[in-house]
Amino acid sequence: MNKKGTIMLISGEYDRVITAFLIATGFSALGVEMKMWFNIWGHNCLKKRRGLFSRRRRPDPAREGTYRNLSTDSFLQSVVEIFNRGGADHLPLSHLNLMGIGPVIFRKLLRRKNVPGLEELIKNADELGVKFIICQMCIDALGVSLDELIVPNVEVKGVSAYMKDTMEAQVNLFI
Amino acid sequence: MEVDEEVDVKGKVCPMPLIALNKQVGKMEKNRLLRIIGDDPLFEEAVLDFCKEKQHEVLENKRDGRKVSIVLRT
Repeated sequence: MNKKGTIMLISGEYDRVITAFLIATGFSALGVEMKMWFNIWGHNCLKKRRGLFSRRRRPDPAREGTYRNLSTDSFLQSVVEIFNRGGADHLPLSHLNLMGIGPVIFRKLLRRKNVPGLEELIKNADELGVKFIICQMCIDALGVSLDELIVPNVEVKGVSAYMKDTMEAQVNLFI
Repeated sequence: MEVDEEVDVKGKVCPMPLIALNKQVGKMEKNRLLRIIGDDPLFEEAVLDFCKEKQHEVLENKRDGRKVSIVLRT
């Protein structure tokens, strides 16, 4: 029987996300079929980093209307977009964040010992065949667009697909 | 198609349609027809998975823009 595993990522902190991707790439290289799910702040690590004053144009209903109900949007979607710039190499730490110096020191520490950076790990995970799936709540309520992600083929699914994935898998992690 | 009961979950998002469907099916007897109408993007997939897991037969599956209407036999 095929070995399968799932990881559900809801944290947006550097130390948690890097652990999740270390496990995903490691297991995938050893022959386990991995699927990674992203829910509340998990999508932060997949976004392209935006400039401070650049905002996206109005979302186009033809391309983004499938999973997102544009008629129930409010100004809060734009507020979340402005404050939550995301980007894999700009995530905070969960402990010892020290107003922003913490991640700089942490990344320098890991880089000196040749631990791979987060963006490189994400690209490696994509090449190894790990599937990326985002929850539909993220797209609709938090205003994420599939065009601004660094990984090309991200699917959008709901809780019923998650239930099927976890019941078939032998290892299910919640990070 | 004539149905015994109808449930309308328009405007609710996953997982509310599944919870409402579960509750309604629990109240009904076997071999009745139930129509459920919803408009969230993952509604069709969720209801079809529910029917497959609990072995209910799907009789009709209509789509009209965003609205999806499914008839199933309990």
